[in-house]
Amino acid sequence: MNIIKRGFALYSALILTVSLAFAGNNKLVMDGSTTVGPIAKAFAEYYMQQNKDVNITVSESGSGNGAKSLINKACDIANMSRFMKGKEFKAAADKGIMPVAHVVAMDGLPILVHPSNPVDKLTVDQVRDIYLGKITNWKQLGGPDKKIIKISRDTNSGTYETFNKLVMKKQKIAGDCEYVGSNGAIRQRVQSTSSAIGYAGLGFVDKTVKALSVNDVFPSAKTVASGKYPIARPLYMFTNGYPKLGTHLHGFMTLHLSPRGQEIVESIGFIPVTQY
Amino acid sequence: MKLSTRKLLDKSFTGYGIFAIILMACALLLIIVPIATKGIQAFIFRGTIEYRKLRLEKFEEGNLKKVNAELKGSQELRKPIYDMIDQFEKDIRELEYEERREYRKELREVKKSLKELFGPAPGDHQPVLWREQYGQTRWDRAKIKIDQVLFFEEWDYSNPDKMGVKVLVDRKSLFKGTSLEPLFAYVEKHAQSILQPKLVFYWRFLFDESFDAHFFGGIWPEVLGTLYLTLGAMFFAIPMGIIAAIYLTEYAGRGLFISLLRSCISTLAGVPSIVFGLFGLAFFINSVKVSESKSVLAGSLTLALLILPTVIRASEEAIRAVPKTYKEAALSLGAGKWHTVLTVILPAALPGILTGIVISMGRAAGETAPIIFTAAVSVGKPLHFWETLSQPTPALPWNIYNLCTEHEAVDEIRHVQYGMVLTLVALVLILNLAAIILRARISKKLKG
Repeated sequence: MNIIKRGFALYSALILTVSLAFAGNNKLVMDGSTTVGPIAKAFAEYYMQQNKDVNITVSESGSGNGAKSLINKACDIANMSRFMKGKEFKAAADKGIMPVAHVVAMDGLPILVHPSNPVDKLTVDQVRDIYLGKITNWKQLGGPDKKIIKISRDTNSGTYETFNKLVMKKQKIAGDCEYVGSNGAIRQRVQSTSSAIGYAGLGFVDKTVKALSVNDVFPSAKTVASGKYPIARPLYMFTNGYPKLGTHLHGFMTLHLSPRGQEIVESIGFIPVTQY
Repeated sequence: MKLSTRKLLDKSFTGYGIFAIILMACALLLIIVPIATKGIQAFIFRGTIEYRKLRLEKFEEGNLKKVNAELKGSQELRKPIYDMIDQFEKDIRELEYEERREYRKELREVKKSLKELFGPAPGDHQPVLWREQYGQTRWDRAKIKIDQVLFFEEWDYSNPDKMGVKVLVDRKSLFKGTSLEPLFAYVEKHAQSILQPKLVFYWRFLFDESFDAHFFGGIWPEVLGTLYLTLGAMFFAIPMGIIAAIYLTEYAGRGLFISLLRSCISTLAGVPSIVFGLFGLAFFINSVKVSESKSVLAGSLTLALLILPTVIRASEEAIRAVPKTYKEAALSLGAGKWHTVLTVILPAALPGILTGIVISMGRAAGETAPIIFTAAVSVGKPLHFWETLSQPTPALPWNIYNLCTEHEAVDEIRHVQYGMVLTLVALVLILNLAAIILRARISKKLKG
């Protein structure tokens, strides 16, 4: 038994030294929003092409998880599709983390239905009534006689928070609403269900779903950037303090300000913060 | 019971057995055949000239002269398309504002779909993202895009009581009588000779990194990540599992504590994998801090915990199955208990232990939930061995899920998703086969 014990001690000591030796590698870890995900992934690949010595990893687990990750020092950049909450700021400050927000893009929140649905505009109040369960049939909105199937993001999501704030005015969504875990899942659910309604980031809208005009404004780059479209929000990346100049973190966090970065944001379907 | 009834019963039992096996074979076929046929499309497909151009420009692969000659031919065929557009743009300048605006809007759609098919028009500025720098690299995708140039979908909402009906509209009809009208016939006729599809065997799909969020390139980081995670899990689980099994069978008494321990292990085997994932996050990353962020190490440890009960249980059974006489013989010859276990019992139990390891290895490779919070990311480079201690990695099971739910362009990259599924299934199969062969060899040695 002695040999095994000694072997075990040796083996764990080895792991410890090796991990200490290589902990300071060139790596950037990003965690958080599935909406910011496509931007983060494209930025990461672009940055890694320019700087071969750095490894950037991106996970998409929701804005709430991004914030938790940053607070637990488990990531360098938290992607968030909403601003940090007071509670999260407090938790961060308690652990000595100072979250700094970088707005990387603007995003609208189109209300999505199946393309076969004849309804093509709603008001914010109507959308709210649908999710409150007051309007339950498309017939009440001038459509065919079909029950409305409500799809929402899970409550960990920043997209949900935005929707909750701007559309629901913090009233409770009806109990028969279906919650899914990502923007892509909402799109899939809506494109396969003819009577569904959902909402997702602008970058996730394609021809398989139909975006509705809200308050007579169609969600597009123009209407979101000008503030006319009522359900819009900035997309953030949070870092712990402002990144030290000259580091890869700093280089990465200024990418969205460069013309190339803005072009990437635009190609993916979101709206760059400034006009280059 | 009469003999005839017994015979009938016997026969019907055999019949049921055969029926069950056939049913299972059919189910297996139903699952495996689509996986194989669709998955293989990631490796073997008809690549267009855009594919060859991409390989040449980004990876300096392929025959420079030949590809350039092909490109020249392709560009000559493309020229009339862009000439027609230029001519049309000149023509509409003379129209009334309203009409002109309408045409411009439709023209923008045509240009957009042409760009998706053939890549940026000559004279356009070079986009940043690879997916916009090239046209369709795969002929199967290109055919869909050709249809999108020629037709577009509209929805007919004329019946207010019913859902709308999809109508395919010929784009040509929008430009009737204009100089753009011949473009559509031209594209339809020449698309194949412009794109020049050729059969490609892209075996490097396995060994290339992904480029532009899986639009191009392969799945090497995912494959490597899965291997690291699986082997890492085995690295931790096998010694722990076998030692625990030895303790439980050879050393532990029959007390209340031990039976409690046993039932705990059995319960552990039934705990949902997502619970292990959350535990791994809370314990290994947030409390013990084996690494600063998610890492292969944390993922391996979590997976090891997940498969530990299986390894312990199988090893325990295998050790118990070793005939008592072996042990008695060893002890009677004066060997100590430890010596007996190490040199007599363990070797005899090895085939059984390996079976347990094989089963758990397949499980570790395919498990998604435990690595979501502890190891897996959607984008990352292939890791060096030493980096596994501190860095997270993409892994096949998680990325399959990620590609089909969270990726922004799911439909464009289905082939990658299918390719990943095939690779994962093949990987598990290969791991299992290797272990089965190893096991057969060991049993043969023991018998011989």
